[in-house]
Amino acid sequence: MGEGSYNALIYLALMVLKIVVIFGVVMLHVAYASYFERKIIGRMQVRLGPMVVGPYGLLQPIADGLKLFFKEDIIPADADKPVFYIAPIISLFAALSSLAVIPLFNGFVIANINVGLLFILAMSSLSSYGIIMAGWASNSKYSFLGGLRSSAQVISYEIALGLSLVGVMILAGSLNLTDIVKAQEKYPFGMFLIPQIIGCSIFVISGIAETNRAPFDLPEAESELVAGYFVEYSGMRFALFFIAEYMAMIIIAAVGIVCFLGGWNGPFVIPYMPFAWFFVKLWVLLFIYYWVRATLPRYRYDHLMNLGWKVLIPLSLAHIVITAIVKVLI
Amino acid sequence: MKFKQLVKTVFLTEILQGMALTLKTFFTHPVTRQYPKEKRPAMPGFRGLHGLVRDQQTGDARCVGCGLCAAICPSRCIHIYTADSLDHKKIVERYEIEVLRCVFCGLCVEACPYAAVVLTEHYEYSDYSREPFYMTKDKLLANWDKYMGWEKNMEYFKKFWHPRTDDLGSPKNQAVFKGSASREGMH
Repeated sequence: MGEGSYNALIYLALMVLKIVVIFGVVMLHVAYASYFERKIIGRMQVRLGPMVVGPYGLLQPIADGLKLFFKEDIIPADADKPVFYIAPIISLFAALSSLAVIPLFNGFVIANINVGLLFILAMSSLSSYGIIMAGWASNSKYSFLGGLRSSAQVISYEIALGLSLVGVMILAGSLNLTDIVKAQEKYPFGMFLIPQIIGCSIFVISGIAETNRAPFDLPEAESELVAGYFVEYSGMRFALFFIAEYMAMIIIAAVGIVCFLGGWNGPFVIPYMPFAWFFVKLWVLLFIYYWVRATLPRYRYDHLMNLGWKVLIPLSLAHIVITAIVKVLI
Repeated sequence: MKFKQLVKTVFLTEILQGMALTLKTFFTHPVTRQYPKEKRPAMPGFRGLHGLVRDQQTGDARCVGCGLCAAICPSRCIHIYTADSLDHKKIVERYEIEVLRCVFCGLCVEACPYAAVVLTEHYEYSDYSREPFYMTKDKLLANWDKYMGWEKNMEYFKKFWHPRTDDLGSPKNQAVFKGSASREGMH
């Protein structure tokens, strides 16, 4: 074994370690995001939320996971089987691979690629394939409608989401997420939030729509579509969709942190915990997701489309022009 | 007005007001009562599972089998069977209530001239079959022993059931069949 292959082995081991750490941390976040969602929404509705499994219901996500794991895997007789099998895997794969480019702190990123932001946008549009395929393959009117709604919604809001990030790209001069965070250091609070306030607002709104969360949760509108695109899924396959949805939430929140809230930088440095500020910001953003869900009723479909095409897209285009002019002038 | 409306729309004022409201309720105390662990005490006057009052002297039910409760019962769920004893006393052979048909109106309690039937405070009697809900006389007496008792019974009658008299016994001058010995005397 030469020096080179030895180094390669260490590199590989480090990479695997990073993947395991990020995967573990994110899976824990997914599990407890569902717990905190139920708790927070419960408290906002003057309820307690889960209280039975473990102290204060803390083991509820584990019990839920076990239950889903041991449940019977039901596949509808007339389902398009191969597509039915692939759909949840595509959803989860798209969500998981976006994790690779997100820097938790300086230097801690699985793949420090130069088109990080583009990669995340590509993956988030890929995840809508999983939803459309699930809706189609289930051979059920509810899931089909859910899939159609979801594809239309995700495609419309992706444009606004992408355009809202263009201002960040202009200011940072890079698509690499680590470089974007570093570019923010000389701005007020070490964030793009103040100069990019319009972009940030558009990003938050279209990010909620992109992840199919309330008030834009039309693809899984319980009162109309039972559960939307995954009505026919049960057991582990349902769990994959569930994990993908929460992971998409976490990823959109992470992109928001990296692009607008200064990534791992905080008002002061916390020793030995370079990732602390990232997680604090992540939890605050997740709380806002739940808070919005507990407050707002679901949009009507034409209102949703109006908001996306007639308000957010023109606004984000104008925002790009303004940002570009200001950038040239200064 | 137009400008104000515009400002309201742009800065999402109404959505922020709603968010402020949910945040405020987030910090209020939940009203949930965790039922199997935290039981809610029955409110005074609660009409729960039926019971037959046990007479302190005889140890048997105070019921005389007059059938007024069965007559007034709107859901016809009380069945009384009386018989002649060996010494020609009227005895209540069977006193049965179909709890599943009862509507808990409490008319039987009000109708009873001897205050012999009551509704106890017990309400946790769900079960897997219909059979346990068919209350026989023994079960009804046991219910009273378990969930009512004498003190609570008197309190309940004074406060909620409004009996016609206070002593709840046979009037002194009521015609009573005195038994075979006196019948021979009459001949």
